[in-house]
Amino acid sequence: MAEEFNTQGMLDMYLFENGQLLERLQEIVLEQKDAECFDEESINEIFRTMHTIKGSSGVMMFDEITKVSHKLEDVFYYLRESHPQKVPHLKLVEHVLEVADFITDEMEKIQNGENADGDAGKLVAELDSFLTQIKSGKGEKEKKIQENVHEEPQQFYIAPMATSASHFYKIYLTFYPDVQLANVHAYKIVYALKEIAEDLLYYPEDIISDESSAQEILENGFKILLQAQCSEAELREIIKEGYELKKVDIYECTAKEYQQGFDSIGSEIRIDLESSVEEIEARTDTAASEEENKQEEDKKPIAPGDFVIASKEPGKGKKLAKDKPKKQEKAAFISVDVHKMDMLMDLIGELVISESVVLQNPDLKVEGLKLDNFNKAAAQMSKISTDLQNVIMSMRMMPLTNTFQKMNRIVFDVSRKLGKDIEFEMSGENTEVDKNIIEHISDPLMHLVRNAVDHGIETVKERKASGKTEKGKVTLWAKTESGKVWIGVQDNGKGLERDKILAKAKKQGLLDPRREEKSYSDKEVYQFITLPGFSTNETVTEYSGRGVGMDVVVSNIQAIGGALEIESTPGQGSLMVLKIPLTLSIIDGIVMEVGHSYFVIETGAVKEFVGVRGNMLIHEPSGEEFVMIRGECYPVLRLGEWYHLDGYEADMEDGMLVLIEVEKQIVCLFVDRLIGKQEIVVKPIPDYIKKVKGLSGCTQLGDGSIALILDASGLIE
Amino acid sequence: MGGHDTQQNKYVTFKSGNEYFGLKIEYVNEIIVFQEITEIPESEDYIKGLINLRGKIIPVIDVRIRFKQAPLEYNDRTCIIVINVKDTVVGLIVEKVAEVVEIPEENILPSPKIGHEEKSQNRYVYGIGKVGESVKLLLDPDKLLRDEELEMLEKASEDTVGEGEVIL
Repeated sequence: MAEEFNTQGMLDMYLFENGQLLERLQEIVLEQKDAECFDEESINEIFRTMHTIKGSSGVMMFDEITKVSHKLEDVFYYLRESHPQKVPHLKLVEHVLEVADFITDEMEKIQNGENADGDAGKLVAELDSFLTQIKSGKGEKEKKIQENVHEEPQQFYIAPMATSASHFYKIYLTFYPDVQLANVHAYKIVYALKEIAEDLLYYPEDIISDESSAQEILENGFKILLQAQCSEAELREIIKEGYELKKVDIYECTAKEYQQGFDSIGSEIRIDLESSVEEIEARTDTAASEEENKQEEDKKPIAPGDFVIASKEPGKGKKLAKDKPKKQEKAAFISVDVHKMDMLMDLIGELVISESVVLQNPDLKVEGLKLDNFNKAAAQMSKISTDLQNVIMSMRMMPLTNTFQKMNRIVFDVSRKLGKDIEFEMSGENTEVDKNIIEHISDPLMHLVRNAVDHGIETVKERKASGKTEKGKVTLWAKTESGKVWIGVQDNGKGLERDKILAKAKKQGLLDPRREEKSYSDKEVYQFITLPGFSTNETVTEYSGRGVGMDVVVSNIQAIGGALEIESTPGQGSLMVLKIPLTLSIIDGIVMEVGHSYFVIETGAVKEFVGVRGNMLIHEPSGEEFVMIRGECYPVLRLGEWYHLDGYEADMEDGMLVLIEVEKQIVCLFVDRLIGKQEIVVKPIPDYIKKVKGLSGCTQLGDGSIALILDASGLIE
Repeated sequence: MGGHDTQQNKYVTFKSGNEYFGLKIEYVNEIIVFQEITEIPESEDYIKGLINLRGKIIPVIDVRIRFKQAPLEYNDRTCIIVINVKDTVVGLIVEKVAEVVEIPEENILPSPKIGHEEKSQNRYVYGIGKVGESVKLLLDPDKLLRDEELEMLEKASEDTVGEGEVIL
């Protein structure tokens, strides 16, 4: 039993880690798909990724994955070592993506408990012929490449370029001879210096794992070379003589002296050209080295051989990379079971309630009690519980990055298959959205992007004919506006054809015969394409044109309370904007009271609150009520009457009108009282109760009572 | 699953009207004191609304109204039996919880089918359990919660058979 559990754990870990590696792999590949070739950093990373996948798949005995990753690793090993000149880059990109797809598919099978039975034979053969091709394409004297018989790459440590504000220091530290664990003390100092250091070298180097270094530090002192933008006095502030440190000598030196290293200290230069590949891999794999690399990437590259100083820490040996865009900081993540998150959320909800039970306890209302200290402590507790709520809410938020990355892949695939040349641009992918929502928008977004590539962008020929750039462009952007997330898919293609859509709508009998065709606004016309079975594309392609799609998009988006807006300019392209709520689980709401019940409505839907006088009302003979506000006439909906509640205010002058606006329609809700505005946690109404019109959920208020959440669009219907 | 045996044949009994009813203990999550209920508009009359059960919002139904008995004012004896039937958690408002009794299977008789079913509560009773001198009507919780369509149908056919004319 225990054993089974363990393999399952290993398998989960295998799937999770490789899934992440593959995602990152695709990201790298797509980032550079338009370049002429991969830069060295990427080649290394792809190589490492394949190496890792090969290794772990070998352990888990997924032979086909092992084979194919091994083969791709070979290809990249060759690229890395031999720098062949004529590599068909797009072909290579395709190969990498194919391999990634294959492995992803296999992993999916494994995840579903099936056998990973895909045959990698074809892929391996393709990669083989590709490898032969690039080898022969080079036609130069080559090194014989064999798996894992690594040639030693040369390494250079590149001293960072000094800016004019930088100072160079040599620092000698002498510890008291009786200090224990001098290496640890030395490390503490190094650690503190790292904060300010532009570059930092020290000797002895291996102060962490090598305990004998303590002895050496005590005997010969600890030596540091530091490049930083601070004064000697500031340095002395960081490194103070004291309990352990007997003496601190700081000498400022010139850049040249600095580059000579510890030369003048004790001739400790070693030229490290001999590390093995494994070592480099091991080093670059660690998070620390990532950081180091980044530091170095920030600086301009210098021709190799300028300065060659050996050191493992902190100036790490690193292969010279070409200029490349800075990598974005990757945050560290752990995956957590969503149920646990929900549980945590519920618990915090309960905590808030019991907090109010304690703080408003009737026992405290006794006359003459001195509660000063209690109140102070209570305020502190309230603050913490509020913070706690905010944190759990933010934990559910995720950036759209992954979703957008997938779209990048789709544009690449579809445009190549259709023979269109398309540039893909994204912005705002860091916009954060609730995880549940992300899951719901991925498919609709995919449809929209495919549509843009397939229908929107014309063929190269057509574009030329209409005097446009040959390259089409699809832009995917996201932003937050007025409490919603807007996600736009924009293309510079031919746009929607109003006449065609109208003709089709007429054919399908969607037009109102009493209306003239001209009287339909563009917006109304474009809405037709969101109806089921509506497609103006004459020919069905692999990707679109079947008329399923837009209606699914719209219904999926509506299901999460969002909307789709379509704009289009003939000949210049179209823009589809998804407007979706930031989160499904918390909304900013106005709490209102009607009769004995509480209702909540989303703040975003509320236009204004109006106290009315009787003479503002207009009664229709049919019983409908309207209210005249500043010359505009709006329908009135008495919530108490609508829901047949007891004890609600009947007189308009005693209550309050809430103007809500949904999609340009305005309705006035008549309620008894406004309670306040607060963040509320949305909970579904239990399934057991049949769907009630105009209600979208419920929530518990601070005092533990339940409020019903009004769905503005439901009320307007 | 060790607890299963100890739960075997045990029933939570409660009083509604003049009769005592029994619910298999495995359906019962807990019994709580009466708490404030938030009404849900436009729902059936026996669904009284929602309660907040330590952060979980669950619907509650009034058993008396469900059994077509005259509703009673809620007082401090009123209890809510929280039951879980096929993952639907619902609270039952009952006048008074009586006790937990053990009714061996041999003491359970199938509910008698007498021509005219006037008491609608019998619809939800699948058996009659004898405990000493008294009897408990054993409830089928699944039917108690969702018997709506069945109820409508039966009513229609009963009326047709009984009175010889079609209402509806």
